[in-house]
Amino acid sequence: MTTDLNQFPQLDKTKFEQRGIQLEIGVPVTCAVSIGNYIAAGFGDGTIRIFSSGEKHKTLKAHKGVILCMAKDGDNILTGGDDGYFLKISLNGEINEVTNFGSRWVDHVAAHNGNLVCSSGKVVYYWDKNKKEPKSLNHDSTIGGLAFDARGRRLAVSRYGGVTVWKKDYSNKWKSTKLDWKGSHNKVSFSPDGKYLVTSMQENVLRCWRLKDKLDFAMSGYGSKVKSFAFIDDTSYLATSGAIDAICWPFDGEGPMGRKPICLPYIGNKQVTFIEPFPDEKAIFAGLSDGSVFLSQIENENNTIIIRSFTGSEVSAIAMTDDKSSIFIGDMSGNTLWTSIWDQ
Amino acid sequence: MENKHQVPVTVLTGFLGAGKTTLLNRILTEQHGQKYAVIVNEFGEQGIDNDLVVDADEEVFEMNNGCICCTVRGDLIRILSGLMKRADKLDAIIVETTGLADPAPVAQTFFVDQDVANKTKLDAIVTVADAVHLSSQIEDHHEAEEQIAFGDVILLNKIDLVKDENIDVVTKRIRKINPFAKIIKTTKCGAPLKEILNLDAFSLKRILEVEPDFLESDHDHEHDDDVTSLSFVSDKPLDMEKFQNWFGKLLQTKGQDIMRTKGILDFKGENDRYVFQGVHMLMDASPMGKWPDDKERSSRLVFIGRNLETMNLKEGFEACKSE
Repeated sequence: MTTDLNQFPQLDKTKFEQRGIQLEIGVPVTCAVSIGNYIAAGFGDGTIRIFSSGEKHKTLKAHKGVILCMAKDGDNILTGGDDGYFLKISLNGEINEVTNFGSRWVDHVAAHNGNLVCSSGKVVYYWDKNKKEPKSLNHDSTIGGLAFDARGRRLAVSRYGGVTVWKKDYSNKWKSTKLDWKGSHNKVSFSPDGKYLVTSMQENVLRCWRLKDKLDFAMSGYGSKVKSFAFIDDTSYLATSGAIDAICWPFDGEGPMGRKPICLPYIGNKQVTFIEPFPDEKAIFAGLSDGSVFLSQIENENNTIIIRSFTGSEVSAIAMTDDKSSIFIGDMSGNTLWTSIWDQ
Repeated sequence: MENKHQVPVTVLTGFLGAGKTTLLNRILTEQHGQKYAVIVNEFGEQGIDNDLVVDADEEVFEMNNGCICCTVRGDLIRILSGLMKRADKLDAIIVETTGLADPAPVAQTFFVDQDVANKTKLDAIVTVADAVHLSSQIEDHHEAEEQIAFGDVILLNKIDLVKDENIDVVTKRIRKINPFAKIIKTTKCGAPLKEILNLDAFSLKRILEVEPDFLESDHDHEHDDDVTSLSFVSDKPLDMEKFQNWFGKLLQTKGQDIMRTKGILDFKGENDRYVFQGVHMLMDASPMGKWPDDKERSSRLVFIGRNLETMNLKEGFEACKSE
């Protein structure tokens, strides 16, 4: 691929790029998760790269095709691929097959306290950590996203027409509640305090339910699909992609209804494509469609620093280590940056 | 650099048993060295010989945008976005629909979803029709009629099993529904692949190239719910504001019945040709450069759909002519 540098403002490398490790893998980065002080990143060719400070990264060939999704399960990495495999991979590179669906894709994976879930097509499979065979939870349409609540008691499954929330009753039977809203729902998440459920939709809008009374409302005004969102500083804010600003809805107090979001602007008027929280702070990493990544304080828009300058390719993954020392950034062309955050 | 390369997507449609899978397997065996992804329905009729076959569910979703005819293939959005993350670059993607599928949601997916539109482009809708059974299928199943209406290329297949005069009858029937599709008569889908693939039939530029196919036609109807086509020509420039008002309102109120539209427009006071094409209520329009010196300026407009005669299209179009 050729890059016409004259089309872009000439920026010097950021200090993070100078001191970090930059790779050009040439294959889309599809996902990344933190596991302790390690970061695991998945790629479009089925490889996984594991980064840790002070060591050279490790490359594993895990799937035959695209790694579509990734989650952490204790010290292990869970991955689902378009090769139909659902894998559990340890940090030292041991790969175990949880199951395989043949020509059916594994679209979503999640885990809580050793219990594993994945979705393939319209079915969610749940592996209780004490059981070998999974329980199938059926839905009428293809699943757009999966999420446990913070305590792992409820499992939200987004789909066409709304969200199904699954919960085990006292006799250990699965019971479901439906939250309906017309349209196709993709990514889903409970708020960390468990009071809200949010989905991003095929339309350029987010849907939110207040769970105590099922009151639902929209968060709209986006110029494109909201592909990435995250709750910040417990449930203080919901930061979202889908606009040229990072849009941060206030979720403290009585919630976002009737309140305006904080809009964090970035130079260049590019779309925000990825949001990653800075743990325990009212701050976010925002990745843009041109590959640049910024760190911003939500309540002080002047306090924004550039972490990575443009690469020309949409940011598709950002993950920070649990000790908040280092971050990983990846984009759709396979340009990656692994760097420490703090000046020595 | 933002990657502007868009992978072409060919949609293969056609009624049950018309020969879609035969055509698909021909494409896959004859196009050596090309990397294809094939998206099929799990209830496909027979085996497909390709490395990369993806099972789809044909989930048709309504878009929640206040437009009732705006439906998309949700599974296609998911699968195309997954395919775009692959390490190996695809030369093309082929989507085979089931025999009873309406092609509109497939086409609309490429208008509605930004990610799909950025990374892939709808190349053409190829309809395989069974020369033996098409006439009765059109009578009995509105899907068969819709598949003809949406086709950019129509393979009239199995002509070896039909008498010549009957081929003419079927061809006329197809022409009445869709005057600007290219009809290729085949046995065992034996058409040259260059007439099926890489046609760029949905690009506005291509509409200018196929201009001679625009026919002025006016049809009688047998049934009210028949799909037919109407086209209009004006040598007098149009008033842009009047046209936009009329056409916008028309698509808004009658978009369900209007399946496809194409047009080249000459607006008063504008140096550029305006080209547009639409699927139901969704439209793609753009100025396409100056009128060529060797060509008379004129406006041409084609509609394919149901109940067109009730929409006062002629009067509406006439009223758009500039004073």
